[in-house]
Amino acid sequence: MTGAVQTKSTTIRSRTSDLLSRSGLLIALVLLFVALALFAPNFLTSRNLLNVLRAVAFNGIIACGMTFMIIAGDIDVSVGSAVAWASSLLGVLAIQHHWPLVLAVAFVLLQGALIHAGAGYIRVRWSVPAFVVTLALFMALRGAARLITNAFPITPFPDSFNFWGGGYILEVIPVPVVIMAVVFLLFHFISVRTVYGRSVYAVGGNEESARLSGISVWRTRIVTFALLGFLSAFSGIILSSRIMSGSSNIAVGLEFDVIAAVIIGGTSLMGGEGTIFGTFLGVLFIGLLSNGMVLMGINPFAQEVIRGLIILVAVLISVTRTRN
Amino acid sequence: MTAVLEASHLHKYYPGVTALDDVDFTLQAGDVRALLGKNGAGKSTLVKILSGAVLPDQGEIRIDGQEVTIKSPHDSFLQGISTVYQEMSLVPGLTVAENILLGRWPTSKRLGVSFIDRKEILRIAREALGQLEVDIDLNQLASRLNVAQQQLVEIAKAISFDPRVMILDEPSSALPSEEVDTLHRVVRRLAEQGRAIVYVTHRLQEIPKVADSVTVLRDGKVIGTIPVAEATPERITQMMIGSDWQRTQWQRDAELGPVKLEVRNLNRAGLLHDISLELRGGEVLGLAGLLGSGRTELLRSIFGVDPIDSGEIIVGGVALNNPSPSAMKARGLGLTPEDRKQQGLVLVFPVEDNLTLASLRRVSARGVLNPGKERELAEAMVEDLQIKTASLAVKTRTLSGGNQQKVVIGNWLNTLPEVLMMDEPTRGIDIQAKEQIFALVRDLARQGLAVLFVSSEIEEVLDVSDRILVINQGRITHSRQHDEVNLEQLMALVMEEINL
Ligand SMILES: Nc1ncnc2c1ncn2[C@@H]1O[C@H](COP(=O)(O)OP(=O)(O)OP(=O)(O)O)[C@@H](O)[C@H]1O
Ligand SMILES: [Mg+2]
Repeated sequence: MTGAVQTKSTTIRSRTSDLLSRSGLLIALVLLFVALALFAPNFLTSRNLLNVLRAVAFNGIIACGMTFMIIAGDIDVSVGSAVAWASSLLGVLAIQHHWPLVLAVAFVLLQGALIHAGAGYIRVRWSVPAFVVTLALFMALRGAARLITNAFPITPFPDSFNFWGGGYILEVIPVPVVIMAVVFLLFHFISVRTVYGRSVYAVGGNEESARLSGISVWRTRIVTFALLGFLSAFSGIILSSRIMSGSSNIAVGLEFDVIAAVIIGGTSLMGGEGTIFGTFLGVLFIGLLSNGMVLMGINPFAQEVIRGLIILVAVLISVTRTRN
Repeated sequence: MTAVLEASHLHKYYPGVTALDDVDFTLQAGDVRALLGKNGAGKSTLVKILSGAVLPDQGEIRIDGQEVTIKSPHDSFLQGISTVYQEMSLVPGLTVAENILLGRWPTSKRLGVSFIDRKEILRIAREALGQLEVDIDLNQLASRLNVAQQQLVEIAKAISFDPRVMILDEPSSALPSEEVDTLHRVVRRLAEQGRAIVYVTHRLQEIPKVADSVTVLRDGKVIGTIPVAEATPERITQMMIGSDWQRTQWQRDAELGPVKLEVRNLNRAGLLHDISLELRGGEVLGLAGLLGSGRTELLRSIFGVDPIDSGEIIVGGVALNNPSPSAMKARGLGLTPEDRKQQGLVLVFPVEDNLTLASLRRVSARGVLNPGKERELAEAMVEDLQIKTASLAVKTRTLSGGNQQKVVIGNWLNTLPEVLMMDEPTRGIDIQAKEQIFALVRDLARQGLAVLFVSSEIEEVLDVSDRILVINQGRITHSRQHDEVNLEQLMALVMEEINL
């Protein structure tokens, strides 16, 4: 009776006991897919489906970092601005200042990580809610992007640069889709198999217990900010490659699509629970929904209403689940 | 006479566990019923069903012979039942007084608008706490209370309902003996007024002082109910365990090794004054003191949880300037905190992850976890500490209180510490498991572990320690070998008035 443990030798441990919610999401995804296949013209073509994947790749990459952020009990509303800033900075450095492209890209990635790490430092040093710190970033980075570009797109990048955002592998698979797949796999691994990943869950689940167990809360949080900053800059770079310009006007409102995807994917806003796989499903869900609504010719303003309502439902599910 | 409370054929199932199996439970007015059983026997489940916090899968409840449905804690209040849960539930951002009257704040109407009547709140709260004869600032935020104070406030809250039936789930587990005596008096007085009381405890010695009869649960079944006169410790343990109790013996034969931890002139304004101590490998050093004497504060300061004003903490001969829990852990120190829910566990984690929370280094290489190793350590602890859980994958919050406590201890034992500080480690742990844990700690001491041990149960401090330090108002006032004092003398030292 006591001490009896049933050992299940699952190699990949499932963190969610919320299998239900996840399979619920899977079912919803399948239903959506079937509905779109039936009613949305040209939906079920490999071309369209690959386009959907490419369209979600830019958000998907960022959503990985956002998942960690929310699991850690924080939130980041600045990622859209961070994308625009990265794109603008890349344009300014590579085109206006003639930096070698590789150097400009490396610099943009590095500053993305550093700026966010700084925000993370402020978050932990003065216990300011992450929402407030990133709200400031949200405004400042968008402003800075417009400032250095005068709000005009900066062109041209060399043609070869288009490969990252607009190219194909094996002539069919869009490069961003491959990049997204790699990022998801990597973050899945980090979340289930690394000390850092476990620390993120612990800090979000109970910061005090984590601290008293000798986990460095500061380091965990700052690294989480830095990773998200890095991914946002990264996404900004391949988005620039896709549109072949450095632009301060892209990614407006992107943060909310990303946050919505993470929450629809079953990550708890209370912290401590969530999965990268769930986020992947959430990203797909939002991508399919947007694509389907466009194909069905739904009024763009109505599209926004529908998305808002669906996100609300998802959040309700998330909140009621955490209460029980 | 009809029973005030009568529950029959209660069943409660959780995935993989039958928490209650056809339980009948009857209570008469004026009766104090002690409810006993090993960790995970189903005591708290029964309590929660009676108080509406959990719904039974089957069974019925009668009050004064009338069948009632208790679907929520509110329903049970309406039936005159008030409950002190095992896991405390004060709202941290409210004051003590506001917590005592939570949800039923008296109001006064002025100009047609209802205002909260602060004076009335304070009056009722003061009266409730007054019965317990404790001195807690009513305007203090609940987040600032230590575990014992929280417990007292919870009890005061239950009393302030003026209930007909009062259910207390391990009310004494977090209280020092002084306060426990007061609690017994209060419980007896309430019983004399004709109220019925359920009293869950693991401390057998308090049964004759407080109870009229005893009900024992084992694996979700009622084993029996006996009058207190028949409830000898042997009989009760036999009922709890199901066979004769083979007491685990331990010896104090550890040889003292080198000094592992040294504290010199440690000060924290208003809390700790000029504390110096030395702890050697193989030694179990007990810290005895009253509520608020600074025991917890001392452990937390040494572990770097709270900053100190001055003083030196020397581990293995090296002075540490900037102690933090992670730095201390890296030097082989460990601390099992007193508040398992807030400070010890991540309740949403699977049991396995809480058992390795502090030893992620040990179960990883270059930052990558080794799931096999993790599982191995977790399983070993479940075995050694007899943690009752459906599996390693279930969330820790589904474990019974005592089993959660064992997870906290297991988490730190897994770090292979050189010095282990234990703050109320046996809170809520049943007598058999307690002895097993002591035997384990003693065994580790023999292999060189140094232990700094705090317990509100002075008997326990005397039983387990090699040497005892008495702490009083933040000062170390006495040091005794375990064989130099008996219980009465130690009590006297602990309660001594000191003039400053
Ligand atoms: N919410 C839950 N989900 C799953 N299992 C649960 C839940 N609550 C309790 N259990 C299980 O029910 C059993 C009885 O638990 P209970 O809390 O009643 O024990 P207890 O007698 O109060 O023990 P303790 O002395 O440790 O407090 C345990 O095996 C526990 O794991
Ligand atoms: Mg219990």
